[in-house]
Amino acid sequence: MWIENVVCPFCGCLCDDIAVEVEDNRIKSVKRACSNGRSVFLHAPTEARRPVVDGKEVDWPDAIDAAARILMKSASPLIYGLSSTASEAQRKAIALADLLGASIDSTSSICHGPTSIGIQSQGEPTCTLGEVKHRSDLVIFWGCNPVEAHMRHFARYSVLARGKFTPQGRKDRTVVVVDVRPTLTARNADIFLQLRPGSDYEVLITLRAMLKGARLDVAEVGGVSVAQLADLVERMKRCRFGVVFFGMGVTQTGGKHWSIAELVALAAELNAHTRFNVMPMRGHGNVAGADCTLTWQTGYPFAVNFARGYPQYNPGEFTAVDLLARQEVDAALIIASDPMAHLPRQAAEHLNRIPTIVLDPEMNLTARVARVVLPTAIYGISAVGTAYRMDNIPLPLKKVVNSPQPTDEQVLDWIIERVKT
Amino acid sequence: MGCISCAGFVIAMSETDAVTLRLKEPTTIPIEADSICPDLFVGRSQAGIESLPAFYGRRKVTLGDLFTVEGENSDQVIVEGALRYVKKIGQRMTRGRVVVRGDVGLHLGAYMRGGEIVVEGNAGDWAGAHMQGGRIWIRGNAGHLLGAAYRGEKRGMNGGVIIVEGNAGREVGALMRRGLIVVLGDVDEFAGVRMITGSIFVSGRLGARAGAGMKRGTIVAFADHAELLPTFRYDCRFQPTFLRCYLLQLHAWGMSIDDDRLEGFYRRYHGDLTTLGKGEILIYDQR
Repeated sequence: MWIENVVCPFCGCLCDDIAVEVEDNRIKSVKRACSNGRSVFLHAPTEARRPVVDGKEVDWPDAIDAAARILMKSASPLIYGLSSTASEAQRKAIALADLLGASIDSTSSICHGPTSIGIQSQGEPTCTLGEVKHRSDLVIFWGCNPVEAHMRHFARYSVLARGKFTPQGRKDRTVVVVDVRPTLTARNADIFLQLRPGSDYEVLITLRAMLKGARLDVAEVGGVSVAQLADLVERMKRCRFGVVFFGMGVTQTGGKHWSIAELVALAAELNAHTRFNVMPMRGHGNVAGADCTLTWQTGYPFAVNFARGYPQYNPGEFTAVDLLARQEVDAALIIASDPMAHLPRQAAEHLNRIPTIVLDPEMNLTARVARVVLPTAIYGISAVGTAYRMDNIPLPLKKVVNSPQPTDEQVLDWIIERVKT
Repeated sequence: MGCISCAGFVIAMSETDAVTLRLKEPTTIPIEADSICPDLFVGRSQAGIESLPAFYGRRKVTLGDLFTVEGENSDQVIVEGALRYVKKIGQRMTRGRVVVRGDVGLHLGAYMRGGEIVVEGNAGDWAGAHMQGGRIWIRGNAGHLLGAAYRGEKRGMNGGVIIVEGNAGREVGALMRRGLIVVLGDVDEFAGVRMITGSIFVSGRLGARAGAGMKRGTIVAFADHAELLPTFRYDCRFQPTFLRCYLLQLHAWGMSIDDDRLEGFYRRYHGDLTTLGKGEILIYDQR
């Protein structure tokens, strides 16, 4: 049986045109997905798995009891992850953090956290990917590489997409890539500006100054000539609808949130001349949802602490890496993420020392060192839920196969009930 | 400004009059101790001070649970012990004096409006954040965001003086609105980022991107080299009169000031040109 219009839960593109063939509760084949999405569907675990406590398989009530005991005993618990689960589960995770007085942080803090901080200081000129498809005639990719990371972005939304005012697709657009190396995305660009690593901030602030007509005493910035930058500013001013997609090449290097603040300010100021927007290239399927859900529940997008009974926000203080590296937490609940594999060594070492609870469909590296492992269903494959695309549009995730595992939402609900009693 | 002699600055505090708090056990669980504030200790007995609230991680406790308290009814406070994980000491204080014997955690003297804090070791990030008055003197190093604004806020330090004898981290005086920050060591990048006005003096190395997005205000680099953003333009070489007034005041507080810096010439750059461009960076010129 073919199931049409399935949303792929893998990356921030959330492609919603996937067709999946299911036979005997197994996914046989997948149409239209990229190689990443195809693997997610074809290799999704569907067999029953029991929870594990201290290396031994146990029943669900015993596992929930063990998890709740760890959290209750802790003086300073951390809830972290959230980017590959549905917003319904994210909401429960926030409720649990509120109940416990825990710190809660999403993987945003190690990818687009600086984007949130930059946007807070500047505002956000933004649009949907639909508008980009139908209207954009200047597309800039800054510090990101969608050809290899968001493989269908070009075809569905940005470079090749044919829209109402862009009937010829690629021919109707100028594509600019700004990066420190010639990536595969750069090969598809009309203009490629290769920056000296770590000089994004200088280039961005120079572009802003040039847009304002300021006289500068320099001939080149960040390895790019002022003439090339002047050409880019002219193109930005002249286009009908411009958009800058940016990735971790700019959020996690050099000026971090100040670079993003400059990029956002540049786009905002370009709106005096034309229509111009910025959009972060979000990585995980529902990492944008983690920001959205945390924001509408607590007022803040990440790095939130409930110790005092109300939400306190402070990146650098309540971000998972900082809490772990400074050894300020004594228990952790990890939801749909693999921090042991991704966090800096100092933070991962502390995570290894403290009792950890993991909710994840896969037996990842963090699950291997966790005290309690709670295997859950996969949203978008074996569970329904809601995920937010990189342009903050919520999309319903479908269930294409049945799973014997409970969802993250159910498991978090059980933990909340157990903690309350 | 080479070395510093604080002899004239540190007035011997009469320990018999002071309230002394000693952390009972070292911990890595964060302690929020905004109740260690001279304003709250005045008019309170020892038992009253012991019953002031504090947070040990997510648990609401009292100061007496975490600290041994000696003394009562005084705005002179001495805090001792392993305090690296103790946050918010002196937050919102308006009077008196807090002496921290050793290193201290985040948010020291945040929102402070008066009085004085002396740290004999290093201070964590956000020391003096949103400070409006008074003086913070850090003998060791300061962390990041010294005298800065919290994320999402429009302005940071709005008055008062912060003096750091060691180095300071990134974003010193970010979004600063008024006041003076003096760092005798090096500062990391983005000193005075988006500052509205105020003064930042750096004796050691001034990190990259100083004054990024600054509207007004003054950043002075007493070392004779600093790497500036392309959005700053050279103006002139001159002897700033106002700087002499500031340096003489610092001298009166017990700092030793080089005659060269007092009488010398400075190169003036103005920026940031993406905004008002009325900020200035002065770099000491040895010629």
